[in-house]
Amino acid sequence: MGLAPTITIHVPGPLRAYCAGAAQISISAHTVRAALEDLERSQAAFYRNVCDETGTVRRHLNVFVNSDNVRDLDDGIDTTLMPGDVVTILPAVSGG
Amino acid sequence: MADRIILTIGTKKGVFVAEAAKARRSFSLHGPFGLGIPVYSTLIDTRGTPRLYASSCNPFFGMKVLRSTDMGKSFKETKSAPAFPKDDGRALANIWSLEAGGGKKELWCGVEPASLFRSRDGGDSWDLVPGISNHEHARKWHPGNGGLCMHTIIRDGNRMHLGISTGGHYLSEDGGETFRASNQGVGAGFAPDPYPEFGQCVHKIAWHDDAPGRLYMQNHGGWSDWTGPGGPRPDIGVLRSDDYGHSWRSIAKGLPSDFGFPIVVHPHDADTVYVMPLDPMTRSCPGGAPAVWRSENGGNSWSRLAHGLPKKQSYFTVQRDAMDIDRLKTPALYFGTTTGHLWIGKEGGEQWNCLFDSLPPIHNIKVAVV
Repeated sequence: MGLAPTITIHVPGPLRAYCAGAAQISISAHTVRAALEDLERSQAAFYRNVCDETGTVRRHLNVFVNSDNVRDLDDGIDTTLMPGDVVTILPAVSGG
Repeated sequence: MADRIILTIGTKKGVFVAEAAKARRSFSLHGPFGLGIPVYSTLIDTRGTPRLYASSCNPFFGMKVLRSTDMGKSFKETKSAPAFPKDDGRALANIWSLEAGGGKKELWCGVEPASLFRSRDGGDSWDLVPGISNHEHARKWHPGNGGLCMHTIIRDGNRMHLGISTGGHYLSEDGGETFRASNQGVGAGFAPDPYPEFGQCVHKIAWHDDAPGRLYMQNHGGWSDWTGPGGPRPDIGVLRSDDYGHSWRSIAKGLPSDFGFPIVVHPHDADTVYVMPLDPMTRSCPGGAPAVWRSENGGNSWSRLAHGLPKKQSYFTVQRDAMDIDRLKTPALYFGTTTGHLWIGKEGGEQWNCLFDSLPPIHNIKVAVV
């Protein structure tokens, strides 16, 4: 496997306080899973908001690669990333 | 000098703090803090300089513990919240109870899935308590409607009582190192065996520190008409122990329903106990007429306290931690409702007045004199 592509993580507003106010984080990762593992090491406080103790993306969050929700993609969390991809983490729509 | 009443109000949309002079004529309200996030447990820690704690149970971003060191003018997250070890396989779903421990900084925290955590530094770091969290029964407990929650933590020296729904009452007599199910006399309505070793849906346990052998339990009642295996189980909902929780007996006779959630003990009289009986189907007061019921003889008889409360057409629920009593000489009761009303019952519940009528649904009320 070659050099990991550089991708951008878009940080939702409520979580920017957990990564020094950053709206975007640039990291290099081959897959979404690898990107999350990188966040676990480099942005631990932010990561804890995104994944639970077992490493699972929290139930009411959605992770998009560009415009695709990874839950809808064949490879799910193991979806391959390409240079320039934008990974967006968003709370699911809810009310009440 | 203790001269203020402080109320922490955990709601569906954050925590509020209300404050009044001892006369309790007028309460000011601050908040909400932890905006928009449900708060199921709060703690007014009066050891040393008072600190307020609240669990902020974010369904999107996980659990947080909030702490205020300025009496509720502001809250900040502690450095970490309870979390299971990565290889445990369980993930924190909610924080249901926060209690003060020994010294000035020890805290205990009951969570969902039912487990216990301990902090020695005022909530900045947490350790799983294996004696109960990894108990041989732990993987056999099942969640009730509210989730598999550890909602009651009572400490009495080396003795510790835990209430779990649905798990039952667990007792430690070695400072929390080991626990055993202690449910003799505690019934269950949703299992063929009416008196199982564990697995009861305990709703709340209360005690009085001057009479530590005496405990009261609001259990999941409402099974008097059960016709399935094991037969009817009347009066299993309100119970009392006189032997430090080793055995329990019903004190539900005289109540309009043995179903309910909170149970509260008078701060100066271990024989005086308060419950709010609810219809088990609607989980609101029978007939739509809210009332707190009081016993002044340890549950041998009960009287209805409803002066000032709505007389009809009120169908709110009062949740397990949404009733408390202050420690003034003539104490006042407080309860919060799922309709966002906060009621005060002065003179020990003789006269009720609504303090706030448009809060978010209320999960938790704690009161202290500071």
